Amino acid sequence: MSVALLLTVGGLTATGMYLVTSRSLSRIILGFSLLGHAAVVALVTAGGPAGEAPIAGRDGALTNPVPQALALTAIVISFGLTLFLLALAGRQQQLSGDDLVEDDLEDQRIARVRPDDDPAEVET
Amino acid sequence: MMWLLLGAHGLGIGLAAAAGGRSLRAGLAVAAIAPAATAGWAAAALLRDRPPEPTSLVWVDGLDLSIRFQADGLALLMTLLVSGIGALVFLYGTGYFNPGPGARFPASLLAFSASMLGLVWADSVWTLFIFWEFTSITSFLLVGHKHEDPTVRAAARRALMITGAGGLVLLAGLLVLTSEIGSSTLTDLAPVSGPTATLAAILILVGAATKSAQVPFHVWLPGAMAAPTPVSAYLHSATMVKAGVLLVAVAGPAFVDVAAWKVLGLSFGITSLLWGAIGALRHRDAKLVLAWGTVSQLGLMITLLALGEPKATFAGVSMLFAHALFKAALFLVVGEIDVRTGTRDIAALGGLSRTMPVAFGVAVAAGLSMAGAPPLLGFMTKEAAIEAALKLSGPDRAIALGAIIAGSVLTVAYTTRFLFGAFGRGPATAVAPRRLAMTVPAVILAGAGVLGFVAVATVNGIVGPAAAELDPEAGTFLLIQWPGLKTAFVISMAILASGAALGTALSRHDHPARPAPATLGADAVDRSIDGLLSISPRITALVQHGSLPVYLATLATAAVLAATPFATELTLDHLVWWDNPLQGGLALGIVVAAFAGAFVSSRLGAALTLGAVGLGVSGLFVVHGAPDLALTQLLVETVVVVGFVLGLGHLTRRFPPVNGTWRGVRIAVAGASGLGAMIALAAASAQPTGRAPLAELTSQSVEEGGGDNIVNVILTDMRALDTLGEVVVLATVAIGILSLARVRRQEAATRGPA
Repeated sequence: MSVALLLTVGGLTATGMYLVTSRSLSRIILGFSLLGHAAVVALVTAGGPAGEAPIAGRDGALTNPVPQALALTAIVISFGLTLFLLALAGRQQQLSGDDLVEDDLEDQRIARVRPDDDPAEVET
Repeated sequence: MMWLLLGAHGLGIGLAAAAGGRSLRAGLAVAAIAPAATAGWAAAALLRDRPPEPTSLVWVDGLDLSIRFQADGLALLMTLLVSGIGALVFLYGTGYFNPGPGARFPASLLAFSASMLGLVWADSVWTLFIFWEFTSITSFLLVGHKHEDPTVRAAARRALMITGAGGLVLLAGLLVLTSEIGSSTLTDLAPVSGPTATLAAILILVGAATKSAQVPFHVWLPGAMAAPTPVSAYLHSATMVKAGVLLVAVAGPAFVDVAAWKVLGLSFGITSLLWGAIGALRHRDAKLVLAWGTVSQLGLMITLLALGEPKATFAGVSMLFAHALFKAALFLVVGEIDVRTGTRDIAALGGLSRTMPVAFGVAVAAGLSMAGAPPLLGFMTKEAAIEAALKLSGPDRAIALGAIIAGSVLTVAYTTRFLFGAFGRGPATAVAPRRLAMTVPAVILAGAGVLGFVAVATVNGIVGPAAAELDPEAGTFLLIQWPGLKTAFVISMAILASGAALGTALSRHDHPARPAPATLGADAVDRSIDGLLSISPRITALVQHGSLPVYLATLATAAVLAATPFATELTLDHLVWWDNPLQGGLALGIVVAAFAGAFVSSRLGAALTLGAVGLGVSGLFVVHGAPDLALTQLLVETVVVVGFVLGLGHLTRRFPPVNGTWRGVRIAVAGASGLGAMIALAAASAQPTGRAPLAELTSQSVEEGGGDNIVNVILTDMRALDTLGEVVVLATVAIGILSLARVRRQEAATRGPA
């Protein structure tokens, strides 16, 4: 296995993870994209070493086509998700003027409930 | 047949609720049918000496997930008690409750009855556990019957918390035990030993002790006397509290080699035997006297069963049978006294032997059976217990014999005090008219104690096979009517004489003005439950704080921790620096671009670095021999970058500044995640499980798919349905984006030119 690919996966995961834990929605989308790249590269790496493109009739050692087919699906799905997130971020920006992710209101409300309260009456 | 009977209970619950909606008494009468039928079935199976076939309902084969029932000798004995006493208690209830509607009570009581049957029939520890929990829950509903009263609610809550916590401990014990034995079937329990077996023994014993109200877990039982008396007679004397004893009996053979089982079992048993009896002497409420007496008698049974000697096991099982009969009868009498006089205080009562002669007869017959006086069933079982203790050797003999004698003296004393207090001297308390439905079941139960002595052969036919189930040798013993002038008999008589003297003396000191003693520890339990209730929201607030980045970081940390065990499988010999130098160069470029993207503060810059990463990854695919991936990636990346620039065009050009400390945490988590991913990936490819079926794939894609590009054929032919799903996802995304964009445009239009 190639250390270069391994480091690529590690680097993409680390930067992606750093970005998704940020407060800014556009950075989160960026991080999400990087994590998607990491997953795809990992999938292809796990399939075996580099080689000739898996096309029938070619000479030499062909690469494993199965992870490639899976990776192709992964690329397309993460593409769809990224675009949808972008549209959502655009909407959020339009409504609130920024793209910051706030704390979950429902969770904050639950955190304020005390044993004797009627949970429905605690204000957010 | 067992399924049919349980089904009849289920049907009965519905019918009882329907009938109870009009009249509680009618609901109870309807509910009595299923237990009566079950008791008849069990009696027939016992008398014909033909146990029913085991039966099971498999849910997941191979995962050991099934409900298995088997009614062996012990289970049939318990069935007889659960359903027989159940039917009588339902009958009794029709007299105990005043006329009026009440759907919940008969339905819950019958649901309890059904759960108890499932518990005693269970042949798999998981089946046993499920029904064990069902009995805890139905018991909570029944104890809390008069839920308008806060003390009743507190008592019900206490009972649920203690038995519920015990249930969890039991579950842990069962998990340890089954993983040690490798089977969850109760009838296959093989002796185990070693530290894990000791752990299982302790956990299971604690679980059993909570259910059977053993000191120090007994505090829920006196409180549970807040329940209506039929519930106390049924749950808290004859059935539910016996579940722990039953568990000790059934699991005992697995732990014969575990010292902790015997030591802890004896400690629970003997402490409860003595402390329970002392409690019974301290209280004046007749129901509490009986409840504490139950703690004591259950302690005696657990003592006998924990000894693990055949004769003691036999005595324990026969005690289980006799106790259910006399204690249920006594509870029924106390309920009748309560209903007809309006009090249960034995210091305030008196002279009931004249005004309630039938109840007096029942109380004497059942009470003497409890005290162990001849000619009653209780006498024979007490003899068996003393005989068993005499047969022991070493320190066991002194401990067991001493405990049994001391406990029995106290038992005789509280029985005497109860009988004198309620029925003895003093002006007769005024009583309401007799209700036949309350008298008949009590007479039957007390009569069974007398009949059990006369027809001892029948009792031996029931108890013998049950004991043989636990220990083949235990089945060889018999209950004997007249043992002759042997040591055990002499001890018995001495116990009766000294106990009666003690009881009479204490009875003189009873005075209605003296305050009733509190149950030690009940307050502490209530306080700790309250504490739990106030701590749990704080824990929720701490864990469920609402910050999405922190949730994500927590998840990532957990994932990294889950990946760390892979590090042990990591080998380095399959690693090469790169497949070819170009790959190395591209990898470097990608990582540099990704890091730049993570730390750059300009939005446009970030979008561009994302494009650079995408291009680099495409390049990697080209080098790797994956032209399809490379092409797709290139297209996708272009669209994403364009989308980024267009979509976020209205935002400030720079990202807002980041909090310093949190940033450090994020970097640490991110670094760990990257490392974890690398370790997991390297470890996974260190052990390839097989080679790619290249030859098959090639021939299939050419001959069947009609294409040379294998990846394409996989996507459009072999996994065509997946690809269709993918298209649907993209179409959905497109619709979503379009509608979001339209909202924006419409809003802009309504706002008009500003």
